[in-house]
Amino acid sequence: MTDPLLRVEDLHVEIAGRGGTVRALDGVDLTLAPGEALGIVGESGCGKTMTALSVLGLLPPGGRVTGGRILFDGTDLAAAPERVLRGIRGNTVGMVFQDPLTSLNPTVTLGAQVAEPLLLHRKVSRAEAWAKAEETLRLVGLPRPAERLRHYPHQLSGGMRQRVAIAMALICEPRLLIADEPTTALDVTTQHQILELLDELRTRLGMALILVTHDLGVIARRVDRVAVMYGGRIAERAPVRPLFAAPRHRYTQALFAALPDAATDAGRPLATVPGLPPSLTSRPTGCRFAPRCGFATDLCRAAEPELTDGLDGAAPADTAHAVACFHPADPAAGDPAAALLPPHPAGEAREPGTAGTLGNTGEPLLRLAGLSKTYPLHASPFARRGPGARGREISAVAGVSLTVRRGETFGIVGESGCGKSTLGRMVVGLEPPTAGSVHFAGRDLATLTKRELRAHRRRVQLMFQDSSAAMDPRMRVGAVLREPLVIQGIGDRAEQRRRVAGLLDDVGLPRGAVDRYPHEFSGGQRQRLGLARALALSPALVVADEPVSALDVSVQAQILNLMRALQREKGIGYLFISHDLAVVRHLADSVGVMYLGKLVETGPARQVFARPLHPYTRGLLDSANTPDPDAPPPVSPLGGETPSAAAPPSGCRFRTRCPRAAGLCATTEPPPTEPETPGHRVACHFPLTSAGSRGLSSG
Amino acid sequence: MIRFLAKRLTQALVVLLLVSVLVFVLLHLLPGGPARAILGVQATPDAVAHFNHQQGYDRSLPEQYVSYLGRLLTGDLGESYKLNQSVASLLAERLPKTALLAGLALALAAVVAVPLGVLQAVRRGRAADYLLTGVAFLAYATPVFFLGLVLILVFGQQLQLLPAEAPQADTVGGILAQAPALVLPVVTAALGIVAAFSRYLRSAVLDNLAEDYVRTARAKGQSNARIMARHVLRNALIPLATLLGLYLPTLFSGTLVVESMFNYPGMGLLFWNAAQSSDFPVLLGVTLVVGVATVLGSLLADLAYALLDPRIRSVT
Repeated sequence: MTDPLLRVEDLHVEIAGRGGTVRALDGVDLTLAPGEALGIVGESGCGKTMTALSVLGLLPPGGRVTGGRILFDGTDLAAAPERVLRGIRGNTVGMVFQDPLTSLNPTVTLGAQVAEPLLLHRKVSRAEAWAKAEETLRLVGLPRPAERLRHYPHQLSGGMRQRVAIAMALICEPRLLIADEPTTALDVTTQHQILELLDELRTRLGMALILVTHDLGVIARRVDRVAVMYGGRIAERAPVRPLFAAPRHRYTQALFAALPDAATDAGRPLATVPGLPPSLTSRPTGCRFAPRCGFATDLCRAAEPELTDGLDGAAPADTAHAVACFHPADPAAGDPAAALLPPHPAGEAREPGTAGTLGNTGEPLLRLAGLSKTYPLHASPFARRGPGARGREISAVAGVSLTVRRGETFGIVGESGCGKSTLGRMVVGLEPPTAGSVHFAGRDLATLTKRELRAHRRRVQLMFQDSSAAMDPRMRVGAVLREPLVIQGIGDRAEQRRRVAGLLDDVGLPRGAVDRYPHEFSGGQRQRLGLARALALSPALVVADEPVSALDVSVQAQILNLMRALQREKGIGYLFISHDLAVVRHLADSVGVMYLGKLVETGPARQVFARPLHPYTRGLLDSANTPDPDAPPPVSPLGGETPSAAAPPSGCRFRTRCPRAAGLCATTEPPPTEPETPGHRVACHFPLTSAGSRGLSSG
Repeated sequence: MIRFLAKRLTQALVVLLLVSVLVFVLLHLLPGGPARAILGVQATPDAVAHFNHQQGYDRSLPEQYVSYLGRLLTGDLGESYKLNQSVASLLAERLPKTALLAGLALALAAVVAVPLGVLQAVRRGRAADYLLTGVAFLAYATPVFFLGLVLILVFGQQLQLLPAEAPQADTVGGILAQAPALVLPVVTAALGIVAAFSRYLRSAVLDNLAEDYVRTARAKGQSNARIMARHVLRNALIPLATLLGLYLPTLFSGTLVVESMFNYPGMGLLFWNAAQSSDFPVLLGVTLVVGVATVLGSLLADLAYALLDPRIRSVT
């Protein structure tokens, strides 16, 4: 085997903060061969980003390496002076960060930012550096790079900015590229494009890659080896296929079992990991995962397991499947998730598809007809008004019609800017529609009197993505939950208190929570509070806008299970808005796919996901990262970017990115049809019907 | 950009019109009206009526306002009651001098405040930061007149290093020729602004240092000094540039005290003397000029922002 390019040995990192010193990394060992790709996976706070940052000496203020070595090409970077590190950063090791919106300097031109590392590390003239910057921008697939050199970051979309950030990291042709959650802030289709780009560039430039992510789907087809981190240590380390096929650490197993993808077909609740990750301010005794592990024994609580390949006592080889667990799963055993999952609730089993049929029999609760919302682009008193100003508008939602039945979960899927949140706000009544109508329980909201509207608000409630931002930080939880009852004048004080206690029971929080403030809770607990508040008025419909997007996989599973259990118990309907196909697939009975303000496809979830009719749905599904290293590469991933909602394309709004677009699509807006099965509607001139596909392939 | 300019200019004109209305109203609120102010309390009612008729004060208010506005546009701000000179010529003579004083103070403040602010941000939480923060608060809290007195006592009286009186010349050139005499007034006017600006810049730099793009620059191998110069300051100075514009009115009120203290022949001293002799046309003339300067200042602040920040530039 060749000498490793990077060898991290027993790395310890501490971060001093107000709440005490956090042992962010506690003995991390990693190796990376030249040209190899390593994925580091874990949930928030597991130390994956700290590992990446410490390689380049970029730890946040208060952070320092307290032990171990980071050997890069023979140099110990952990002990190297700043001057040496500066010579390596951006030169032989490039780094790409998570948020392309903030990681570029807003007031410096793209050319200057991309050329900067070259001017620092190579003896080149400014003109040469800019020429190379242009070449690199072309390499990363930025259209019209010469022109873009003089542009500023805000003039680019998120995906394009991430391309620029990659160009910056690559301009000196580094031997190692570290990408820290490079696609987390991006849309599904853009994510796919960026990952493909990283893949291709790695092969072309022969560089090594460290891909840090929380998303098992992202690394499945992109790396050679994977390290799973938990609580500042490596829990499991293995080549990607063995790891995905048979994870051995109990934590890795739980992580896989919590993926919504894992339970899509069964309609069963997701496996969850109880409890919270360790705080790392004090050194835990024993295995860090033991408090949350169903297999933990006294041994696990007393001693800390070391990474081992289970063969002998010696340190495992770099490429071996090594695991730091006293009771690892037997790789020969069958479905690893089976052991973890709660028993299948007999009789209660609900196939996503069959629930759809159940929904078909249920009475319609919410009916949207031709619902539209446009925003004026310039809302200043000096903006031009009247007919001359037409076109200077943003068409956020354009003619959406759908029906949500009582007790059903209707999933709205789409990328950012497709209008899904605006739709949710109109349903709740926070925004008046520009056109169209919202019928709730048979009555048009527009015709309701003020008093009726007030009563209506009880029956539709909203649950937010970021519940901490959606709760007054100075109100105690008890007051937060009681407020809706007070506003609607329900019950006296004692009755309200009693109901709040009941709500906390429902969402699995201790009753003592009433005296605490929202910030004292973890992200998952806050989402429980958000759900409790939404349920306070016993609504018939809860509009949940990305309720689990900010959560780690294991916590996400808890919330999804909870939402599902409460639905079954109370018969609530959900309008579940999400960008995450796997989550919607797991939870929804019916689904609607939105693109640029239009509902392009809608129908029973199982049918839409199994046999999408709209090319956009197909592209979305193809672009999604399935956590399977052997998944076939997508047939038709979506290229290009969503056009601006201020100037949507004529005819079919999707035609600019559609592989099937023809002249008709530019002139005529496709009407919704049901070409295959009743209830499965698609708005496309050339839907992907079995007949249509045949016709296309033969023609 | 042109549209943005046109829009802002229109807004500025509207505000200026409001300023003129305000000044007009103030003129009419004078105790007993302008007639009593000029003719004195001993004047007979007939004399007052005659004066009012002569000056057009007996006509309707809108009528009077229109003719007032007409005069304003031709540069006629009325006559000083006491100085036997037109208000316009008085202002024309004094305004450049005050502008010189204010401009020098502002420039000095900016030149001193930027390095101080950066130093505090870089040394955050250490001795230099605490020391400078303390000094800045002290300077900020000290009234201008007190500061001026201390400076006069120390540098003018005790050390005899600098003249305690400002240059007494008729022209701007003549004032500049006596540069040493300018030092104390300029420093007095600048110190409070230095304190405010350096505090402002400190927090702007700290905010920017926490931004992701700084981490990106570090990941490129850039040194801290150059990250500060090339990346952080560029972003941190944008709000400061707008602050400069917004500080114009504060600066004018500051010069009022400074000018009277150092006997500097500018607009502030003119205002001071006019206030003591109830020379209302002069007072209102100065008020109008300060109002215009305020409006122009915020206009300049907006323009500076639009020019410096590419995000605003392309939107507008």
